[in-house]
Amino acid sequence: MRLEKCWFCSSTVYPGHGIQFVRNDAKIFRFCRSKCHKNFKMKRNPRKVKWTKAYRRLHGKDMTQDSTFEFERKRNRPERYDRNLAENTLKAIKKIDKVRSNREAKHIEKRMKVKKSKERREAAKELEQSIHLVKPPSVLAQDPSLTLPKIKVKVSQQQTEENHAMEE
Amino acid sequence: MIQSQTHLNVADNSGARELMCIRIIGTSNRRYAHIGDVIVAVIKEAAPNSPLERSEVIRAVIVRTCKELKRDNGMIIRYDDNAAVVIDQEGNPKGTRIL
Repeated sequence: MRLEKCWFCSSTVYPGHGIQFVRNDAKIFRFCRSKCHKNFKMKRNPRKVKWTKAYRRLHGKDMTQDSTFEFERKRNRPERYDRNLAENTLKAIKKIDKVRSNREAKHIEKRMKVKKSKERREAAKELEQSIHLVKPPSVLAQDPSLTLPKIKVKVSQQQTEENHAMEE
Repeated sequence: MIQSQTHLNVADNSGARELMCIRIIGTSNRRYAHIGDVIVAVIKEAAPNSPLERSEVIRAVIVRTCKELKRDNGMIIRYDDNAAVVIDQEGNPKGTRIL
């Protein structure tokens, strides 16, 4: 049993799922579901289709270079069964997966952080230039900060009067 | 899903190039043949200077189909064309190399 990668979207294909297409030059294309298979038949290039891993890696959306990827290389030599080795491998798979997903999340977070600082800078600039739209210049002369003055509004004390119209 | 009148490529070096299925061997009135079934075919195109000639009726076994082959372990395999290997009455291939 072997977990393959979908040729189109690079997700794992578990046994019993998907279709394998064998081309006449003996190249095997494995697909995880009919969505990927149909896109392939349409001759779409996965590097140009936005939701595939190939596109995301190519355009820097996802992590490409990391030491955790070294562990998941394809090995064609069968290993002699060793109980300790099998146990350690299973433990390692879990740990490596956790480390890798943490690093990938950090990579995306780092990518998103740039937007926040950019938004703040733009907002500050807009406040400086367009404060006259909300604050008259006379008030600005007295109080040169970019915040609006606090206004106190009196609420009439009619809350004690009970409304019996809605009661049953 | 090979049936009568289906053209198949030949996947060996027996000399035939293209076959047309005439009949499916097995139960009577069988509609379609899949990978591994034996068919009776007529040679539509043959390589020059080969032991097999055009319009000869021979038997063949199907080795590739465009229709998906479903295996018991859930694997589904699809090929790019329909192809067969020429066979004699006993079931031995007539060619020497399978392509």
